[in-house]
Amino acid sequence: MKRKLIAAIGVAGMLFSVAACGGDSGDGDKKAGADGYAGETLTVWVMDGSSPDQWQKDLTAEFEKKTKAKVKFEVQQWNGIQQKLTTSLSEENPPDVFEIGNTQTPAYAKTGGLADLADLKAEIGGEWTESLNESSVFEGKQYAAPWYFANRVVLYNKKVWADAGLKDTPKTRDEFYAALKTIGDKTDAEPIYLPGQNWYHFVGLVIGEGGELVKKDGDTYVSNLDDPKVAAAAETYKKFQALSKAPKDKDEATPQQGEVFADGKVGAFIGMGWEAGIAIEANPKIEKDIGYFTVPGATADKPEGVFLGGSNLAVAAGSKKQELAKEFLKIALSDKFEGQLAKLNGVIPNKESLQTNLKGNAPAEAAAPAAAVGGTTPLIPEWAAVENDPNPIKTYLTAVLNGKTPAEAAKQVEGEFNKRLSQQQ
Amino acid sequence: MKRSLFGRLWPNATAVVLFIGFVFPVYWMFNTALKPTGDILSEDPVWFPTDITFEHFRTATDVDHFWTYVTNSLTVTVLAVVFSLMIALAGSFALARMRFKGRRGFIIGFMLAQMAPWEVMIIAMYMIVRDASMLNSLVPLTLFYMMMILPFTILTLRGFVAAVPKELEESAMVDGCTRAQAFRRIILPLLAPGLMATSLFGFITAWNEFALVLVLNKDAEAQTLPLWLSSFQSQFGNDWGATMAASSLFAIPILILFVYLQRKAVSGLTAGAVKG
Amino acid sequence: MTVQTERPPSGPADVRKADDGGPGGKTPRAASRAGALAPYLLLLPACVASVLLLGWPLLKDVLLSFQNLNMTQLIQRATEWNGIDNYQAALTSEDFWRVTLRSILFTAVNVVLIMVLGALVGLLLARLGKWMRFTLLLGLVLAWAMPIVAATTVYQWLFAQRFGVVNWVLDKLGWHSMADYSWTSSQLSTFFVITVLIVWMSIPFVAINLYAATTTIPKELYEAASLDGAGAWRSFTAVTLPFLRPFLYATTFLEIIWVFKAFVQVYLINEGGPDRLTEILPVYAFVEGVGNQHYGMGAAIAVLTIAILLGLTAYYLRIVLKQEEDEL
Repeated sequence: MKRKLIAAIGVAGMLFSVAACGGDSGDGDKKAGADGYAGETLTVWVMDGSSPDQWQKDLTAEFEKKTKAKVKFEVQQWNGIQQKLTTSLSEENPPDVFEIGNTQTPAYAKTGGLADLADLKAEIGGEWTESLNESSVFEGKQYAAPWYFANRVVLYNKKVWADAGLKDTPKTRDEFYAALKTIGDKTDAEPIYLPGQNWYHFVGLVIGEGGELVKKDGDTYVSNLDDPKVAAAAETYKKFQALSKAPKDKDEATPQQGEVFADGKVGAFIGMGWEAGIAIEANPKIEKDIGYFTVPGATADKPEGVFLGGSNLAVAAGSKKQELAKEFLKIALSDKFEGQLAKLNGVIPNKESLQTNLKGNAPAEAAAPAAAVGGTTPLIPEWAAVENDPNPIKTYLTAVLNGKTPAEAAKQVEGEFNKRLSQQQ
Repeated sequence: MKRSLFGRLWPNATAVVLFIGFVFPVYWMFNTALKPTGDILSEDPVWFPTDITFEHFRTATDVDHFWTYVTNSLTVTVLAVVFSLMIALAGSFALARMRFKGRRGFIIGFMLAQMAPWEVMIIAMYMIVRDASMLNSLVPLTLFYMMMILPFTILTLRGFVAAVPKELEESAMVDGCTRAQAFRRIILPLLAPGLMATSLFGFITAWNEFALVLVLNKDAEAQTLPLWLSSFQSQFGNDWGATMAASSLFAIPILILFVYLQRKAVSGLTAGAVKG
Repeated sequence: MTVQTERPPSGPADVRKADDGGPGGKTPRAASRAGALAPYLLLLPACVASVLLLGWPLLKDVLLSFQNLNMTQLIQRATEWNGIDNYQAALTSEDFWRVTLRSILFTAVNVVLIMVLGALVGLLLARLGKWMRFTLLLGLVLAWAMPIVAATTVYQWLFAQRFGVVNWVLDKLGWHSMADYSWTSSQLSTFFVITVLIVWMSIPFVAINLYAATTTIPKELYEAASLDGAGAWRSFTAVTLPFLRPFLYATTFLEIIWVFKAFVQVYLINEGGPDRLTEILPVYAFVEGVGNQHYGMGAAIAVLTIAILLGLTAYYLRIVLKQEEDEL
């Protein structure tokens, strides 16, 4: 039976079944042929906003054609995702494939909840950009596959800037500030919408200053928020935040800053390129007014530091469809779909060769210069606990914005920060 | 004793102020749900919706699985209330009418049960349900909701049963009824208002619950309306119109039930509450 | 409906029943063996449900509180006992005691407000004319019936920083600094919103019940009091208050439990923020346990929370214990 099937399905099937031999899964005999997956449904968790409908649709079609199985995308919110993911991974039917933030990957790799993807890496990961794959590797093993990366840019309203008489986009931090001031003076618009807890932007500023959020003290990591470099970043943040009417104790998702921007009464905001889509959905007329530029750094020759956010795709160790999940990854991460995602969302793909897809994409071109000087939060398993609400870095920012000195604020959150970093695993 | 004009006026004036205070949030919810976004996000509030729109209700209900949530919520709530009433009726009859060893212990036991802070035990409940492979099902949800309202139901019903004059029951038994018959023919009809009052409390508790269902049921097919409502703000950002429309839809069944049953509820709950 | 005839009433039983119906009415019923079992049988379903659905989770929670249970252990379904480490960590942390104190204060303030205002509204109801009373009752019932999740959402909107109607009113009243005030930015203002919400939701229960209770006070008591020359205040303290006492105890007990457990309101308004400053015990247990994925610790705090709630209500439970001895 098995033999006959293999004979029947040709070259594609051959390749496929060879790859399938590498794993040990509950799929049993089904791995033999393409028809074997018929009737199965793969559950895939993607985060809100990370993958466009078109991409999901095309990918679903291709996947269903190739494997005869179905795929079900479930969109998740970032808020509270860790709690949801942890419990799900302990269940009998976890999501088979899921998107996981790069800063959260090491912690989950350590829990044993992620399947080993060594064979996948060997098969399709030869060209993955080294630095982007870093977060997926834990203690020498491949626990996830790099999917896409992105860093923040300034999204601005061309009309508001023109009303204020501004012609060029700023090249330095001071020019940026001056431009926003001009908007405030000459128009009714809010110069910039910058809520107090856009902590990814703050991490970028810290990276720009050459600072670190944590330092090593013996075997454990402890807060480094009292570092003058971190303080300098906080001061920069505060200076710009003072130009905004946005709440000091909320992050960029409550309310969605793209929706605020959609009203046309905001000069600029700092966000992901795809957040323009949120604005356009809320108010289609805004599309022609949206422009992008790299977040300007202290000097014109070097852009501001940015947080190099990104997501990996992982397979749940408890999934009963290991092989099918890997099939999905192979298709989703193929040049065709990885390239399409880069193109549609303006995100950095996992291979350098695919970056040509970003040509002519305004947000991506604005993001590219900064990516080179970008960085991430420390890629240590201890980090995930820090991101649980209430995130001490957010608390730190709000404290600074409400008038505490950076040193006082650092002292205020130090206890909580250290507690989380040293939390028993 | 004749009261002065002032003496007659101030209670009414206070009552009007209080009425406004209590009704305003409810009114504002409907008001916001019914007016166009432009009127919601205006510098000066629009006090009366002149330009009524159902746009927000459409946004709120135009969500995948909306009707599944409605059905699930209704199923879970009604079943939990009915089961808890049945179980409580038997128990409260024993507690109110019979004398037996350990009676006091039972009463204290149910009072303690009433104090259970369910939200803090969620992870324990989650692990029990998970290990029993019952996640994403309405069964554990119904059972736990029933338990959440059971102690209050027993204790309240006990007051109602005690309030039914014993003589009625006894004379029925003199007339040849068994105890069970006397219960069914005499006590049950008299208990009807009490049952309704108590069921209101149960209904509102089960209808509201969201912390448990959030952890137990990740599958949209098994989720309920409170999740839909609480997810609104992250999904729709500052779309207050849609959020208020959703709140209105969520509140309407309870509001109707309460107003409809309020007389019975009032007389009923007193009897129960006095007894504690 | 069919009439059951299998057990015709026997003569002696009738005689006994008739005796019971006498003015005493409280003499113990001589019960047959089956009759002695009846109450236990009637209580059986309730007890089974309580043990399975409440006792078991409670026991599980206690067991978890002696475990090191984090992401890894939960995902791998591993059990790692760690003795009393969690309790030690909780009881020696300053946070826990601060949150406990805050919880008690929060409960006290809310319950006092609810009881005092609720009682006043209840007494007011008794003084109103028919129509006015109906109107106010309607308002109270509407507030009472608002589901918590919906009410919390509405309050967020009322107190919203931008376009919130409360800020607008305060601004118009001349308090211009409140025009864009963020209510969730400080501890006190967040508690203020939560307290308004809880008091608003809880007054109707107290007021309506108290009003209903006053209607059951026999008129003769007041007449007797006024014959003794008692004024309005005196007849209130001598007649109304004693009559309502059991009711007030019972309601206070319920309100203490409900306010102490007010997880949903506190969590939905600001998730215990800003800076964890409005966390009360149930929220603290949730944030430390589920939020922080430190489940064993969360379970320990939960057990301590239950102990504290028991302590707060012990006085009332003792009264009930005594009272039940005399009853029936």
